[in-house]
Amino acid sequence: MSFNPHHALTTLKKVEGSLQAFPYRSVGELVRFENVGLRYGVGAETLTDVSFSIEPQSFQFLTGASGTGKTTLLRLIMQALKPTRGTVVLFGQDTSLLEKDGLTALRRRMGIVFQDFRLLDHLTTYENVALPLKVQGRDEVTYRAEVTELLNWVGLGELIHAKPPILSGGEKQRASIARALVAQPELLLADEPTGNVDPSLARRLLRLFVEMNRSGTAILIATHDLGLMDQIEGARRLVLADRRLYVEANDV
Amino acid sequence: MSENHFSRSGIFSAFSRFVPFFGRDPLVAADQVTDRSLVAVISILTFLAALTACAAQLTAATAMRWQVMMVSEVTVQLKPQAGRSIDTDIVRASDILRGTAGITSVKVLRREESAKLLEPWLGSASSIESLPIPRLIVVQIDTHQPPDLASVGKALADAVPGTSLDDHRTWTKRLGHLSNLFLIASFGALLLVVLTTGLTIVFATRGAMAGNREIIEVLHFIGADDRYIAGQFQSHFAVLGVRGGLLGGGAALLLVLTLKLSMMIPDGLQFSGLSEVPILDWRTVFVTFCVIVLVGIVAGLASRITVYRTIGMLA
Ligand SMILES: Nc1ncnc2c1ncn2[C@@H]1O[C@H](COP(=O)(O)OP(=O)(O)OP(=O)(O)O)[C@@H](O)[C@H]1O
Ligand SMILES: [Mg+2]
Repeated sequence: MSFNPHHALTTLKKVEGSLQAFPYRSVGELVRFENVGLRYGVGAETLTDVSFSIEPQSFQFLTGASGTGKTTLLRLIMQALKPTRGTVVLFGQDTSLLEKDGLTALRRRMGIVFQDFRLLDHLTTYENVALPLKVQGRDEVTYRAEVTELLNWVGLGELIHAKPPILSGGEKQRASIARALVAQPELLLADEPTGNVDPSLARRLLRLFVEMNRSGTAILIATHDLGLMDQIEGARRLVLADRRLYVEANDV
Repeated sequence: MSENHFSRSGIFSAFSRFVPFFGRDPLVAADQVTDRSLVAVISILTFLAALTACAAQLTAATAMRWQVMMVSEVTVQLKPQAGRSIDTDIVRASDILRGTAGITSVKVLRREESAKLLEPWLGSASSIESLPIPRLIVVQIDTHQPPDLASVGKALADAVPGTSLDDHRTWTKRLGHLSNLFLIASFGALLLVVLTTGLTIVFATRGAMAGNREIIEVLHFIGADDRYIAGQFQSHFAVLGVRGGLLGGGAALLLVLTLKLSMMIPDGLQFSGLSEVPILDWRTVFVTFCVIVLVGIVAGLASRITVYRTIGMLA
């Protein structure tokens, strides 16, 4: 048989394509924690023996009293912290074996809403929200309309050119949610995303999360707002108490 | 305000097209005061470096020219001898020299001229008249076919007692050593100045990155890789470095050109020494230009290396 370079190339491309999709399908989980423990400095562990997983397109709340470690758990998922014990698997990859480039690739698959927003103060609302697309090297003409539409959706259409220092708490919150959603991530981590808004706006934002969830994004919302959680039927609840995580299967 | 305008106009906006992210909504929150002092420090350093380099180039060129002059010239000294007529001897000596192959001109200095050369040591009082003054013959030699100076000297001494031939070798050697020493010192100074420029950029970059730590963290979380973040800082400081280099180097060039022009004008700055020197030709301009380029390269490299190191530490 003679060697056909064209054939070899197409085969190679197929292999590449399947490599990309492979971990996603076979593992099936976006996040898996196995007996994770975390200790800040010395002293007792803040989280002990935490095991759970997040499925693609799932919707769950993370709840627990203040100081029980909700933010800490989210920080473990977003790779801001390394576990003291146990294994954190993200998108099928053991994060303890992760290289820097791999880390960037993983982070591009998740969106994060920080409890303290973390908007860049010297950029406008528009620039802040467009940032995840910009840092991926995308040309502005390809996303301008998209970003503007999203900003309108969260009610910031009038404030496109305003900078964070003059925004109200709720406006900052919406900008940070828009920034987390703009790249259509596979996983959204939101830390108290409705902490600074009135109930009706909270409901609207929640609807935005539900929309995103329908279009394929798995959602994890940390909150201690029980009313908020009751609005989503069938959402799982992950409850932190006494340094441990309890999963309430809430299938109706 | 004007600084901002400056950075977005002309050459810099052209530059920003090739260096991504600079000039157009930069993600790095730049501190205008720090930026301006950085540019000032670098332009001063570049100015000094450029002048040092010019001085070195001039010294080298001048020393070389003097050496050529001295190598092509030989002096014959004739000391007065008891019982001999120095005026007859000097004619005899110059005849021998004129008859030697490889000698292009022979010039006998008159007694007054020789006395004048000794003035700094003996003074010009009339008492000098009575002193036995040595006489000098200035000989130009063909540097392409030089005569064998040792045998010429011997032949002269045999025929006319009291003559000695000085081929300036000691002086050319010393001048050579001196100019080499000066070149090495200048090169060292240049190196130090360039090093200081690099360090200045390193500190400024570090400071800016520490000040932007929060931003760097957020950029990481929203999916920016190190290369992207590094680009934000690196191009910013490389451009500041180049700007400082251009300002300082430009000032040095201006000074050099002014000097050159003022020396072209008759009765301008006619320093007795400088006017004979092949001073400030286009090589000087070239050297200055090289210093500017060098500063630019060092600034770029320093910020690049610092940015990558610091990002590694912040992550
Ligand atoms: N960087 C840190 N160093 C030391 N201790 C920390 C650090 N961050 C958090 N902690 C501690 O870990 C515990 C959990 O904090 P965490 O911020 O995760 O709580 P939380 O559930 O998000 O609370 P809240 O609902 O008030 O936001 C707290 O006791 C806190 O003091
Ligand atoms: Mg918290």
